[in-house]
Amino acid sequence: MTQRARVLVGFAVTLVILGFLPGLQETMQFPRFYVIFLFTVFFWVAQASSWNILTGFSGYFSFGQGAWYGIGVYTVAVLVGKRGLPFMAALPLAGLAAGAAGLGLGLVVFRLRRLSGEIFALTTLAVAFVLASVARLTTAIDGGTGIFMTGTPLPEFLGDFTTAMYRLTLVIALATVLVAFLIHDSRLGWGLFSIRDDEPVAGGLGVPVFREKMIALGTNAFFAGLIGGVWSLQLGFVTIDDVFNIRVPLFVILMSVLGGMGHWMGPVVGAVIITTLSDRLNSAGLADVNQIIIGSLLVVLALAVREGVYVRMRDRWVTTAGTFIGVLALVVVLDVNDSLISDFAFAMVATVVVMLVSERVWDLVRGRGRSKGPPPPEVPSADLAETSA
Amino acid sequence: MELLAQGIASGVLIGGLYALMALGLSLSWGALKIINLAHFSFILLSAYLVYQLTVSYEVDPLLTTIIVVPLFFVVGALMQVLFHLANVDEFKSLIVSFGIFIILQSLMRTIWSADFRRIGSDLNPYETESIFIGNIALPLPQLVAFGAAVLIAAAMSLLLSRSYFGKAVRAVAQDADMARAFGIDSRRVAVILSGLTTAFSALAGVFIAVGQTLFPGLAVSWFGIVFSVVILGGLGHTVGALTAGVTVGVAAGASAVIWGPLAAPLVTFVILIAALLFRPEGLITSRSVA
Repeated sequence: MTQRARVLVGFAVTLVILGFLPGLQETMQFPRFYVIFLFTVFFWVAQASSWNILTGFSGYFSFGQGAWYGIGVYTVAVLVGKRGLPFMAALPLAGLAAGAAGLGLGLVVFRLRRLSGEIFALTTLAVAFVLASVARLTTAIDGGTGIFMTGTPLPEFLGDFTTAMYRLTLVIALATVLVAFLIHDSRLGWGLFSIRDDEPVAGGLGVPVFREKMIALGTNAFFAGLIGGVWSLQLGFVTIDDVFNIRVPLFVILMSVLGGMGHWMGPVVGAVIITTLSDRLNSAGLADVNQIIIGSLLVVLALAVREGVYVRMRDRWVTTAGTFIGVLALVVVLDVNDSLISDFAFAMVATVVVMLVSERVWDLVRGRGRSKGPPPPEVPSADLAETSA
Repeated sequence: MELLAQGIASGVLIGGLYALMALGLSLSWGALKIINLAHFSFILLSAYLVYQLTVSYEVDPLLTTIIVVPLFFVVGALMQVLFHLANVDEFKSLIVSFGIFIILQSLMRTIWSADFRRIGSDLNPYETESIFIGNIALPLPQLVAFGAAVLIAAAMSLLLSRSYFGKAVRAVAQDADMARAFGIDSRRVAVILSGLTTAFSALAGVFIAVGQTLFPGLAVSWFGIVFSVVILGGLGHTVGALTAGVTVGVAAGASAVIWGPLAAPLVTFVILIAALLFRPEGLITSRSVA
């Protein structure tokens, strides 16, 4: 079985296992809150993975996630909440509208020959606030009054509200990750990676630079808009300040930096960890401190972690699994926390810390071992040359 | 018509403030290759400090400049030292300064809450003062801010073109490694320049505290405007920043009169997109550090 086939089977298995979870809620008697927590995780997985398709793969740093998400939210809110369109008809339009907006921006910025990376980053930062003022000015969109989304009729087959949210977010999250995986392992992905490493050279060697960047940006915006469309239901009451703020880009960046931006699984791991932590902080009544912690975490991780924890977890999966299961078992047995989510949060933090610390220790041990033994053969490596330059 | 003239006049004046806000970002991006998003929260933090000092000690708000500006010089210099220690490149500077931005924003929200804050008119002698030219009122705080922006832009332009430090900055901006090979202490130059740019944002904060109502969301609302000014002015271009600030200010001021104040962000964004499409290298291309 090739690696690709194995991953695809993994996707199918994940879909089946997670798909049946809410159905077990009544038989297993676990709190309904767990289902809500899980679909929040799926929401962030979709957000972070879609962001990574552009920024992680092509290196174009985007703050635009909030804008694409907001377009998705407002497309559904206006079409369903105001015009009374059926939800399932409006949802694809949310993705398409966001994707179109992304492509429009790309059309302007990606054509620049100088500094297009930096200008792209800062333009995307401004877009969300421009959209906010458009929404505020236009009464057909919002006009500053907000839109009620509670009680939106959903199709029968999705089940009750919580189950429907769970199924919708699960399918979109898995689809986003699947697309990220397929791009990662394709000609398009290699093209994007070459753009990240050296765009002029990539262009010179025949990579269709402009087209590939547009595809990545369009895909990013499409999925962000799609999950945003679903999330408008969860918001219940859609307001401009709730939608077009800095929260979505902040969390998405943090998740991807923590998990690792080069790999398609990085943001997934990051999203699971950060969502769990943030949820615990909020339920501990630390919502005010939350953003300060998140910001500090971002600074520290950006300075200290080079490639994210996912790659390290994969390379040292025995240690990872050992720490995670060990700590989890310990907290469950000791019964420290009132909630299973807290137990998981403990285990995750422990694993991340072990992953980050162990690298330092590992380097130290290896460095010492080398000084005692014979000197290593001098082989000029591209890697070394790059770090010393 | 008179309303429009008034709109344009206040646009010119507020443009000076935009230029002052953009100057720091433009210089650190153009010369140090660091996109410092924390600048926005430094401006607001300085404004809040001025507010707090004025209210607590009942001093003249403009007098607080002598405390705030040196303080922020040190903060900016220290930040650059941190960036050197951690080997921060352009890409990383975005993430790190975004993190600092978030931390400062939440700190300000925690300390001063989300309420509107304004220096009371009993403590703020400049608030209602205006100079009249015909029927057009020129509010004193904005006039002073405009004067300061012109002075600083001119001084920086002279400093960059004439002094040894300016030559060193331009050399570092062109090629830091080569500058180092020729004996320029590029790190020291960077630390001083970072201190200077942060001091400029502190000064902008003083004028904002004097002339405006403060709330935490203010920093975010500057993104579009200041960034348009930076791009339009050309990276690291001091006189360009001033011209661009006035251009954007006039456009925003005139559109506020015609379509209402909410349209201003939209107009600046349209200017930004137009600038990117037609003049991505800025309005004036000569004599910039980058």
